[in-house]
Amino acid sequence: MGVIVKKVELSWLDRSYVWPIAQGMLITFRHFLKQIATPTSKRFTIQYPDMKKTLPAGYRGLHELKRFEDGAIKCVACFMCQEACPARCISIEAEEFSELNFTQGFEEKRPAAFKIDMLRCIYCGMCEEACPKDAIWLRNEYELAAYDRVSMNFGKWDLINTYAEADGKARLTQGQESPATPSRPASGQSGQPSDPA
Amino acid sequence: MESVAHLTGLSAVTIWTLLKVLIVFSAVMGIGSLWTWVERRGSAMLQDRIGPNRALLFGRWQLLGLPQLVADGIKFFFKEDQVPPHVTKSLFWLAPVLAFVPALIGFAIIPFGRSFTYQGMPYHLSVLEPGNGMGMLFPLAIGAVAVYGILVAAWSSNNKWAILGGMRASAQMVSYEIALGLAVLAIFMRVGGYDPSEIIKDQMAGGWYFWRQPLGFLVFFTCMFAESNRLPFDFAEGEAEIVGFHNEYGSMKFALIALSEYAHMISASGLITTLYLGGWSVPFMPEAPVLLTILSFLVKLLFLLWVFVWVRWTLPRFRYDQLMFLGWKVLLPLSMVNLIWNAWWMTRGGI
Repeated sequence: MGVIVKKVELSWLDRSYVWPIAQGMLITFRHFLKQIATPTSKRFTIQYPDMKKTLPAGYRGLHELKRFEDGAIKCVACFMCQEACPARCISIEAEEFSELNFTQGFEEKRPAAFKIDMLRCIYCGMCEEACPKDAIWLRNEYELAAYDRVSMNFGKWDLINTYAEADGKARLTQGQESPATPSRPASGQSGQPSDPA
Repeated sequence: MESVAHLTGLSAVTIWTLLKVLIVFSAVMGIGSLWTWVERRGSAMLQDRIGPNRALLFGRWQLLGLPQLVADGIKFFFKEDQVPPHVTKSLFWLAPVLAFVPALIGFAIIPFGRSFTYQGMPYHLSVLEPGNGMGMLFPLAIGAVAVYGILVAAWSSNNKWAILGGMRASAQMVSYEIALGLAVLAIFMRVGGYDPSEIIKDQMAGGWYFWRQPLGFLVFFTCMFAESNRLPFDFAEGEAEIVGFHNEYGSMKFALIALSEYAHMISASGLITTLYLGGWSVPFMPEAPVLLTILSFLVKLLFLLWVFVWVRWTLPRFRYDQLMFLGWKVLLPLSMVNLIWNAWWMTRGGI
């Protein structure tokens, strides 16, 4: 279906260039005068390192791998996000674990490695959509830069820890064994991480 | 002056000429580099932005972004001077000079103040003294020479996009030259001579040519934008959008080419001031003091330079065919109409 664009007949004054140019220059000059009166902090420009933009709730930035209250990863290594990813930047290695637990239900798989190549990722949010467990979220962290390609390869620990502190949960560091099979918390205690690192 | 002449063993005329060359050279360079700042700051103001403010003097004073000039200078000096392996070396090194020198010496003819007599010796405030026989033909010729710098830079880069950029620029400059010449011719005809001082005296007597030949002014003004490769006619470079003739240049050589654009702008503004805005003459003051005439010239020059910046950040770039259409089918006939109308008016005895 075509859209009918109405052609505007320009008057001879408009076609002469001179008058429209004068009008345009008047407009920019008015902006100039307005800028003189405006203090720097009140202008439209967001001075990036000093001022940061508050992003909308639906912004898709850096990924986060969600954890349960006790720190165990929500991901069950079902490969859905890897399959859904159009940029093919996610690679998962699954591992088995057989001990059942209560917080996670009766899962038997978890990711041994969960890698996202941030240089390939197009932040489309398809992994979010595909995940049956709501384990992967795209959050509003956008300052993703590094000096080499290797450090743009985010692993499981990077993604788990993305928003750890903002969430009020303790950071987990690599080398420490995560409570992969968390025991049931002792009676009377809520699901706090057993050993915040 | 006489005592200095005695000490150095040079004639007073030589010393005065050297002094004028020094003044004009440093003024053009100074205003040119200052205008890189005005350009950025002014563009920011015109477009509701903030402009340069990260460079701080001694890490403390922002000074409206002026330290950016110093930072630029330091950057250009210490940047790696990369010469690509495929260029024609000799011409590649020569081209920035070829671009810069005509831009700079275009200003030589323009009088920037009233001539005065001191202790029996006449002093003229322009590098080339009046009555030298070249007059306003000099800047027009130099304007044509300026094409060489661009073309040599484009060709010696040995890069097809640079050559295309150079071809665009040279075709544009050459085609606007004709309309420009015809517009100026109408003034020469009215004045009866082409010496800048005669033109200024004529304007002091009969009013600025800005009022007397508005059509000619419009044509000349537009052609000057094309001549100095400024927006909306900057097909030569086009910093971010189109590949231009100085694609292969970096560091100080690029700075020289960029500065030559500003020198061109200053020469163009000087020409417009002299031809259409009464040069150094002060309105309603036929016998103004010398300093006031210099001030008057500077005010007009700086205002026109500001208009160059103002237009650049208001208008979008023309398409190339639009540029050629405007040059050949609009400005050339208009300047002819202007010339013929003036000639007819003169035959009727009008002034």
